[in-house]
Amino acid sequence: MHSRLYPFSAVIGQEELKLSLLLNTVNPRIGGVVIRGEKGTAKSTTVRALGALLPEKISAIEGTGCSPDVVTLPLNATEDMVAGGIDFQQTMKEGRRVFQPGLLAKADGGILYIDEVNLLDDHIVDIVLDAVASGENHVEREGISFAHSASFVLVGTMNPEEGELRPQLLDRFGFCVEVAAESDAERRVELMVRREAFDADKRGFIQRYRKENEMVAERITAARSLLLRVAVPSHLRGFITELCRENNVAGHRADLVIEQAAKAHAAYSGSREISVDDITAVAGLALVHRRRDPVPPPPPEPPQEKKDDQEQSNRENNKQPEQPRSAEQKHHEDAGNNPQKEQQEQGESEGNDTEDREEGRSGIDEEQPEGDSAVSVVEQLFNTGMPFKVRKISSPKDRKTRRGSGRRSRSRVSQKQGRYTKSTVKRKNNDIALDATLRAAAPFQRHRENNRGMAVVLKDQDIREKIREKRLGNLLIFVVDASGSMGARGRMVASKGAVMSLLIDAYQKRDKIAMVSFRKDDAVVNLPVTSSVELAATMLREMPVGGRTPFSAGMVKGYEIARNHLIKEPEARPILILVTDGKVNKALGPEKPLDEAFEISRKISREERIRFLVVDTEDPGLINFGLARKIAGLLGAEYYKIDDLQADSLLSVVKNVAS
Amino acid sequence: MNKNTQYTYPFTAIVGQEQMKLALILNIINPTLSGVLIRGEKGTAKSTAVRALADILPEIEVIEGLPFNLAHDEEPDIIRECFAVTGEEVPADDSLSLSKQKVKVVELPVGATEDRVVGTLDLEHALKAGEKRIEPGLLAAAHRGILYVDEVNLLDDHVVDVLLDSAAMGVNTVEREGVSFSHPSRFTLVGTMNPEEGELRPQLLDRFGLCVHIEGISDPVERVTVMERRFAFEENPEAFCAQRSEESARLVEKIRGARELYPEVAISRDNLLAIANYCLEVGVDGHRGDIIIMKTAKTIAAYDGRGEVEKSDIDQAVMLALPHRIRRQPLQDIVMDVGAVLKR
Repeated sequence: MHSRLYPFSAVIGQEELKLSLLLNTVNPRIGGVVIRGEKGTAKSTTVRALGALLPEKISAIEGTGCSPDVVTLPLNATEDMVAGGIDFQQTMKEGRRVFQPGLLAKADGGILYIDEVNLLDDHIVDIVLDAVASGENHVEREGISFAHSASFVLVGTMNPEEGELRPQLLDRFGFCVEVAAESDAERRVELMVRREAFDADKRGFIQRYRKENEMVAERITAARSLLLRVAVPSHLRGFITELCRENNVAGHRADLVIEQAAKAHAAYSGSREISVDDITAVAGLALVHRRRDPVPPPPPEPPQEKKDDQEQSNRENNKQPEQPRSAEQKHHEDAGNNPQKEQQEQGESEGNDTEDREEGRSGIDEEQPEGDSAVSVVEQLFNTGMPFKVRKISSPKDRKTRRGSGRRSRSRVSQKQGRYTKSTVKRKNNDIALDATLRAAAPFQRHRENNRGMAVVLKDQDIREKIREKRLGNLLIFVVDASGSMGARGRMVASKGAVMSLLIDAYQKRDKIAMVSFRKDDAVVNLPVTSSVELAATMLREMPVGGRTPFSAGMVKGYEIARNHLIKEPEARPILILVTDGKVNKALGPEKPLDEAFEISRKISREERIRFLVVDTEDPGLINFGLARKIAGLLGAEYYKIDDLQADSLLSVVKNVAS
Repeated sequence: MNKNTQYTYPFTAIVGQEQMKLALILNIINPTLSGVLIRGEKGTAKSTAVRALADILPEIEVIEGLPFNLAHDEEPDIIRECFAVTGEEVPADDSLSLSKQKVKVVELPVGATEDRVVGTLDLEHALKAGEKRIEPGLLAAAHRGILYVDEVNLLDDHVVDVLLDSAAMGVNTVEREGVSFSHPSRFTLVGTMNPEEGELRPQLLDRFGLCVHIEGISDPVERVTVMERRFAFEENPEAFCAQRSEESARLVEKIRGARELYPEVAISRDNLLAIANYCLEVGVDGHRGDIIIMKTAKTIAAYDGRGEVEKSDIDQAVMLALPHRIRRQPLQDIVMDVGAVLKR
C-alpha cells in the first residue's frame, strides 16, 4: 500500500508533528502521540505516511507474518476483532476452538492508528488502553483464554470540534501535538503545488521523494540501535523532575515520557548522551496535555464551533453523581448560616403576595396587560448574550432498550439500527449476530449429526443476538424565569445566552425541546414539544421580562409537559432545565411562595425518569440567597452557575481528574 | 440506460440551477474534487439532477469478476486480497480480464445499516460451506463512482463515522463480526439536504469539495418551462428523452474532452497566491479549501476548453468551494455570498 501514500518527507511544515512521530518510532516506550487540530491539516496524511518509514521489523510476531505497519483501527470495529476471538472456519474444521488474533495482535511491534480517536466507542477504548498499559492483551471470551504480547505505539488524531478526549485516555498518550494550518501564503501555494503534483502522478512524485524518505528511514534505524546506549546524566534527571514540578503535572508519567523522549531525541541526533537541548526539545510535547495550571489552552476554541461532544457522555456521567451531592451539602451549610436572610426573603414574599393576587384578578392576558395592575410592571426585551459551548448534558446509560434517533444520550436500542457492540444469548428481536452464532456452534460441528448437507448445523442454543447501541435525543424542557428580578444588571442577557447555548447544543444532538416561561402571574408554554430549535430561538429572542416570579406555576407546567411525554413514551428520558435566580415571590395557592416552591420541588423530584438541571442566574454579589441552589438540592438536580455551564477546556478536564 | 423499463429525466432538460449543474459536471470531469453538497428547499430538482447524472457519466475500465470496481493499475496486493475475500480464485497478474462499465451512482439510503454500508459476512455461504466470505457493501460498489446520499444531514452518526473514515483515506477498513479486510473506496460524495432540518457535522461538511445552495426559480417564464417540460416528460418519456438525446450527447462529448484536457491545464504561481490569500482572508480551517479551489479552477478551465487558468475561473471556484468552509457563528446560515465576506 505504501506506493500510494503521500511521502512523509513531502509534508510541508508540521515540524512538531513530524518530530513526535519520528521519536516514537525510534523509541516506542514514549507511549504514542495524540494529534489535535482543525480539519484539513495533514494529520492523517502524515501518520499514514509514517508507515513507509518503519524499519522492517521491530519485533518478531507469531502468526501475523508481515512487517509491522500502521494498523488502522476503524471506528466501527467490533470487540472480537480488536481483542481477537474464535476463528469459526478453523474451529469447525478442527473441532476445537481456534483463536483468531485481532487488531491488537496485528499492531504488536508496530503502530496502532486510530483516526478520530475521540469518537471511538468506550468499550473498545478500554480494551486498547488495557493493552497499552500492560503491553499484553488478555482474551477471555467465547470460551478462549489467551494472552499475547501487544506492545505498540498508539497514535490517534482528533478534531476538538467533535468533542474532547476523555482525560484518562489523554494521559496515556505520551505526546500531544497541536496542528494548525499554515498562515503564510507562499507556503500554502507550495502545498497546493505538491498536492497537485502528487495527484497527477503518484508514482513519480513518490519516486522524487524517495531519497529523502530513505534517509529518514536510515536515520531511524541508526537511532534505534544507538538508543540503548544513550546515557542519562543524573543531574539532568533532576532537571526533568524540576521541569515537571514547575508545570504542576499530575502523576509521574510525564517524567518518564520526557526521559524516554529525550533519549530518543539524542539518539536521533546521533549523540550518546542526553543534553539539556534534548530535554527542552521534547518537554513541551509531553507537558502540554498534563499541565495543571491554567496556561493558555492549546487551541483557542472559537465559541461558535459547536460540536456534539460525542464520546464523552458516559465518562462525564460517571463523574456527575458527585456534583449534586456536594451541591446539596453546601446548601445545607448555607441554610445553616443564613437563617435570617431566608426569613427576610420570605417576609418580602409575603408582602408581595397580596399585590400579586390583586394583579392576578386584573389581567388574564399574560403577554400585554393594560398596565392597570397595582404595581406597574416594567416590560423589557433583552438581547441574547454571546452563546458558548455547553458542557456535556446527557442521561446516564442504563440497561433499558429504547427506539428513536438523535445524538445526546447513549442507550441500548431495540431497533435494528445502531452500532453492534456485543452479542447475547437472550432472544428478543431476531437480530441475529451471525458471527457469534457461528462461533458458538463451531466447536460442536464435528459431533453433530449433519443430514441436510449444510456445512454448519445450528442448534437453538447456538443462536446469539446483537446488542446494539446508539445515541438518542432527549426531550429538553426549558423552564425560564422571566420575572423582573432577572432583568437586573444584565442577568437576562446572560441567561438568554445560556439558554441559546443550550438550544444550539440541543439542535446538534437532535433533541426535542419545549419551553415554558414564567413571569408576573402565570407560566406560559411558549413552545410545546417540537423539534424546531429555530422556533425556540425566535421565542427566546422575543421573550419579554418583567413582573413577579410565579415559580411554582412554571415548575408545574414544565412537569406536566414531561409527564405527558412520558405517558406517550414511557422509556423516554426528559431533562428539565430550570433557568432561574430562585427569588420566588408568587405562589399558586395560599401558602408562602417559597415554601410552596420547595414543596413542589420535593414532590416533583420523586419522578425518577426526569432529570433536572438548575441554572442559577443569581448575581454573584455581596448577598447571596442561594435559593436556586436550595431548589436544586430538593430536586436532586445538577446545579450550575451560568459560567459553570461552559464546556471545560482540555486542560481543566485534566485538572479536575487530577485533583 | 434501462431504456425498456424506466426513463430518467434528462440532465440537460433541467431548467436553471446552473450552479448545481456546473458543480455536478465538474465532479464528473474531476473525481478528485470529492463531491458536492446541494443545499436547498424541497422540490428544487436536487434529486432529479443527481439521478439524471447516470445518463451523462463516462465509462471506466474495471477488473471483471469482482464487485469492487477495481482499476487494473491497483496494487497487486490489494487485487489479490479482494479476490481472496470474495472466495474467488486469484488469477495470475497478467490474466486479469477487464470490462468497461459506466460510472455508477450508488444511493445510500438514510436508514442504511452499517453492515450494508461497509460490507459483512456472507451469511448464506458461511452456513452452507462453513467458510468466511465477504459480502461487499455500498462503499465497494461506490468505488470510482458516485455515492449519493439524499438528506445527508439525517444520516445516522455511526454511518457518518464510516463515511468519514473511508473518505479520509480512500480505503474502507472492515474489522467487524469476524471479518477483517480492507478495499479501496474512493468515491465522489454527493449529498442533498434541506438546511431547515439541521446542519451537518463540520467534519463531514468539510469532506464535500463543493457546496451549492439552490432556491426555487423566481422567474415566472422559467417556472412555466419547468411545468411544461415535466408535463411533456410524464406524457411520453420516450419521446422526451429522444428529443433531448442530441443535447445529452453533446454534453457527454464536452465532458470527455475536458477529462482529457484536465491534466494539461496550467495554473500560474500568481493565481495560486491569489487562492491562498482568498483563504487566509476569509478564514477557513486547514488546507483543504486551497486545494479544492485550485482543482476546481483548473476543472472549470478544462470544461471551457482552455489550457490555462484565468482569474475568472478562480472567482467562480471560490464561490463553489468556500461557502461551507468559512468559519461562522452558531445557528447562523452558511454564507452563500463569499464575495460579501471578502468585502468586509
